[in-house]
Amino acid sequence: MKNRLKLLRVERGWTQEDLGRELGVSRQAVNALETEKHDPSLDLAYRIAVLFERPVEDIFENPHA
Amino acid sequence: MLSIWKNGTPAHRRYVLRTWAFMVPYVLICVAMMTGAFEPIIDSPAGWILAVAVSAPVIGQIWATLSLMRESDEFVRALTAKQFIVAAGLAMAVAVFWGFGETLAGAPHIPTWLIYPLFWAIYGAVSPFIRATNA
Repeated sequence: MKNRLKLLRVERGWTQEDLGRELGVSRQAVNALETEKHDPSLDLAYRIAVLFERPVEDIFENPHA
Repeated sequence: MLSIWKNGTPAHRRYVLRTWAFMVPYVLICVAMMTGAFEPIIDSPAGWILAVAVSAPVIGQIWATLSLMRESDEFVRALTAKQFIVAAGLAMAVAVFWGFGETLAGAPHIPTWLIYPLFWAIYGAVSPFIRATNA
């Protein structure tokens, strides 16, 4: 799923490890999200949205829109 | 295994420790069996006890894998499940192929317990190629 996660992470000066710690997931999971190898669950997508204080649609492109 | 220990999560490191705990006794019993250490008990009731002893680590290893999935995030959980399913499917396909080969084509008999090391060999071989949960 296309997303702006890497951009948002870099804007905050975070490493994948840092973002993983904030979200409670592994660095591998962050990498898989950024490289579109994993589509997040609704729960994880909302956690990311809350962390970056943006709507989910601002971070993840809706593939059905 | 070494890269999992170095680069993995705490759940991965617990998985490595559990794997060693189950694999060492399994390998030791297999080596002892192949070197004839259990010849005196073959075909006796004690042979069944040995069969249970050598297969118990297999159950333990499945538990270790399920524990890894339970203690990991959603990506590792989904990726491990996918790798496990592919490896199990291929191992079953090889076993079925060879079983029919024995029945229909006179292929030499191979002990069924070999499916376990075969499964993990396939798991190790396919895992580097299964890196996405959505493809």
